[in-house]
Amino acid sequence: MLNSTLVLPIIGAIIIGIIPGQKESSVSKNIALIFSSLTFIISTLIVINFDYTNGSFQNQTYIEWLPFLGLNYTVGVDGLSLPLIILNGLIITLAIYNGETKENAVNKPKLYYILILLLTTCVNGALIAQNLLLFFLFYEIKLVPIYLLISIWGRDKRNYAATKYLLYTAFSGIFVLTAFLGLNFLTDGSSFDFDKITTEVLPQAKQILLLLTIVIGFAIKIPIFPLHTWLPDAYTEASTPLSMMLGGIISKLGTYGLIRFGLQLFPDVWADISPYLALLAVISAIYGSLVAISQTDIKKMIAYASLAHINFVVLAVAAGTSLSILGAICQMFAHGLIVALLFHLVGIIEEKTGTRELSKLHGLMNPYRGLPFVGGLMILAVMASAGIPGMIGFIGEFLSFQGSFSIFPVHTLICLIATGLTAVYFVILLNRVFFGRMENKTGYLPKVQHFEHIPAVILAVIIIFFGLQPSLLTNLSLNTSNAIALLSN
Amino acid sequence: MDFSSQIASQLNAGGVIPEAIVIVTLLLVLTLDLIFGRKSVAWLPYFAIAGLLASVTALFYGWDNPDPTSFLGSFTSDNLSIVFRAIVALSTAITILLSIAYIENTGTSLAEFIGILLTATLGGMFLCGASELVMIFVSLEMLSISSYLLTGYMKRDPRSNEAALKYLLIGAASSAIFLYGSSLLYGLSGGMTNINTITATLPTGQGLESLGLAIALVFMVAGIAFKISAVPFHQWTPDVYEGSPTPVVAFLSVGSKAAGFAIAIRLLVTAFAPVTQEWHFIFTALAILSMVLGNVVALAQTSMKRMLAYSSIGQAGFVMIGLVAGTQAGYSSMIFYLFLYLFMNLGAFACVILFALRTGTDKISDYAGLYQKDPLLTLGLSLCLLSLGGIPPLAGFFGKIYIFWAGWQAGLYGLVLVALVTSVISIYYYIRVVKMMVVKEPHEMSEVVKKYPSIRWNMPGMRPIQVGLVFLLIATSLLGILSNPVVTIANKSVTSSLVLKPSLEAGANNISASEVRTIL
Repeated sequence: MLNSTLVLPIIGAIIIGIIPGQKESSVSKNIALIFSSLTFIISTLIVINFDYTNGSFQNQTYIEWLPFLGLNYTVGVDGLSLPLIILNGLIITLAIYNGETKENAVNKPKLYYILILLLTTCVNGALIAQNLLLFFLFYEIKLVPIYLLISIWGRDKRNYAATKYLLYTAFSGIFVLTAFLGLNFLTDGSSFDFDKITTEVLPQAKQILLLLTIVIGFAIKIPIFPLHTWLPDAYTEASTPLSMMLGGIISKLGTYGLIRFGLQLFPDVWADISPYLALLAVISAIYGSLVAISQTDIKKMIAYASLAHINFVVLAVAAGTSLSILGAICQMFAHGLIVALLFHLVGIIEEKTGTRELSKLHGLMNPYRGLPFVGGLMILAVMASAGIPGMIGFIGEFLSFQGSFSIFPVHTLICLIATGLTAVYFVILLNRVFFGRMENKTGYLPKVQHFEHIPAVILAVIIIFFGLQPSLLTNLSLNTSNAIALLSN
Repeated sequence: MDFSSQIASQLNAGGVIPEAIVIVTLLLVLTLDLIFGRKSVAWLPYFAIAGLLASVTALFYGWDNPDPTSFLGSFTSDNLSIVFRAIVALSTAITILLSIAYIENTGTSLAEFIGILLTATLGGMFLCGASELVMIFVSLEMLSISSYLLTGYMKRDPRSNEAALKYLLIGAASSAIFLYGSSLLYGLSGGMTNINTITATLPTGQGLESLGLAIALVFMVAGIAFKISAVPFHQWTPDVYEGSPTPVVAFLSVGSKAAGFAIAIRLLVTAFAPVTQEWHFIFTALAILSMVLGNVVALAQTSMKRMLAYSSIGQAGFVMIGLVAGTQAGYSSMIFYLFLYLFMNLGAFACVILFALRTGTDKISDYAGLYQKDPLLTLGLSLCLLSLGGIPPLAGFFGKIYIFWAGWQAGLYGLVLVALVTSVISIYYYIRVVKMMVVKEPHEMSEVVKKYPSIRWNMPGMRPIQVGLVFLLIATSLLGILSNPVVTIANKSVTSSLVLKPSLEAGANNISASEVRTIL
């Protein structure tokens, strides 16, 4: 079942590839939609067979692949990866659905949908890989699809953004691979399998060196403060569906890697570097929030907001308590949903009004001429992002902060300020864009069709549902986070 | 024992049956061309390819030869030489497939071209197994002189002439230096020419004589580094690649290079065993320089062939890591990478040839917007370039990972880190071409692509290119994922080779994974 989440998108991609000469995007889109939603459904079905009381890997498959490299096809899920796989299926399905809301359909549709389906496989593969080299393989494959997705279907500065993304991610890959090669000696070079690698035999200094290499590698991906400069460019220059995927799911690979290959493999020395990591997370959170306040472009504002919020996860991971890990998992899930919703709504606004400038948009809540429903959803998304109770954002932030307070009280308090700042910039956003009077010369904006609302409504429903009923999510990950955190003590 | 049978067993001519088949093919190609003239163009290339494939089959049957030494020790037909000879022969077979239309288009004779190409192949194949100083020199020159002739084959094109002259001058100089090194080695050993037995009489320890050995080493490395185009002996590569006919470049970048690496392994681990530390040092320097210069300078190229030239310099740098590692995994990763490199580089050149045939240019900017006009070419070139850049799950990724892993296990941390950084740089210039072809909008199309001819495969010589391209593409995409058999063969050729045994044992004493663990 787990393997089919990798195989299905590839089958879809091949089918799109071999169907001859389709110039319209609808056929490719429908095929892509079918296969991505199948993947999503299958990934949710894994939950049924999932043993909640077991914190270790389940549904494992082991196939010997390339023994000379120690590269085996070893996959499995636990409470850390399962929510993210489900999130991946959901967001990519919605992103594919979103792919053609514009009147001018995607050009080069075949390539577009093939790349997105490949991306689905890459992300799922990275999340379920229990072999370090297999993880790295999937981690590297996604480089090219994302590069092409940004540089073909992006906005004006797409070339610059795509190249920057490519180089940053490739360097991230170097760090990760270097650390993995170093770790390989621990199994006498015989395999890269996750459960065969324990760092117990290593002296402290080497462990810290390897851990630092891993952390830097994933810090580029997350991103954490000094290594973040690719993010605003990539997020804003990407098309709406890709922004949803980048912010919603692909950024989670970084935090996932941090937990899986940082915290879980180096429990002994985690405490030595975690204060610095927490400090950087706090700086990133405050920095992201302050920069978001000063933005004049809505999408850039959300990009920086995403930077701030993903760093709450980093803080929680740095703390490494069982509650904070659980919080980190919830926050990753929440962040993915909320960022995807925000980017989707901004996409609609940009499409209908033709601009993303805060200074040019006024009174979109106008019930006749504006976009009232989008405005309503935007208010909901903003509240979820700011951590208002009743929505999933609150659960993630509350658990993260409560979990990390015992370890890093000061850092946590500063992060709370950052959540406060979330309210500031999002209120600015709402005030400027949605409230107030709509200028008369603007005239009637094009109506938002019902089908265009579907992704937003689905995301909003899930956000509220898990906000009211978080135990469905927390039960899934409780034992895994306990298992991971116990290691660190 | 009967005298003649004793001679026969010492000659052991069975080891060179593959080469004998190539020689017969070569002679038949030339004779048949004399008899039938230009009419023979229709089937002669396939005849040559069949001969090469027969030679590869003969190599296959020579696998695990219990008595590999032939011709009184001049030639060794062990498994190590077999894999390298197979790479050389295969690269020629594919080169012929790609060259039919190209050579026909220039209005020159195809049979002579194939004749010279087969001679070069013969030189390369003999070089892979040569184990005697004179034999090495003769086969090296056989390869070199045929390469000069091939380079200048399009004699109406001034760039081809210039490239040939330049190649000849540099090549002759490096041959002379190599020959001087050989003569020093001959003198130092007191008159031995067999590289397997030369070590016993070579001077060891300090003193004037081991200085002589060091000089001989440097001189011979200079000759080899010219063949594998390691920096700083690389300067001919960009000019020759740009000036000579593209199929020739395809052969030079794969077949000639594989032969160079084969002789590097054989010569260095046998004759220069006393100075292993020194040649490891030299090749570390060459590898770093090659990776850095090859990959950085490739960034600035505007011509596809020049870019591939610098990229091949960088790729040679990657392969040298395996040589420096000196472990079983190191040598086997070299063979593995060269084998994969055969497919990806020939695939890239096949696309360059195809594009040049249809448009007559090889400027990178002229590739803009090709996605709309020629999807197969775009797919092919993209996959091959991304594979060269080391993007999973293509062949090049697994080749590189294996080399890096072998280097890391041998403790070459610095070298592997340089390789990792330079391979990121290489991704940038490879993907630049992919971007040109795929990303550009229809209105950004280059003039050449706007006038792109309609795709017709039924013109003379086009179908072979199509077949070759598809074959290379499939190999490039799948050989990485299904690489177990290839690596098994590479490993077997390394472990069963008597030549490598002493050096592997010496290397195993220095470092092993379990010892690293205890050191850590």
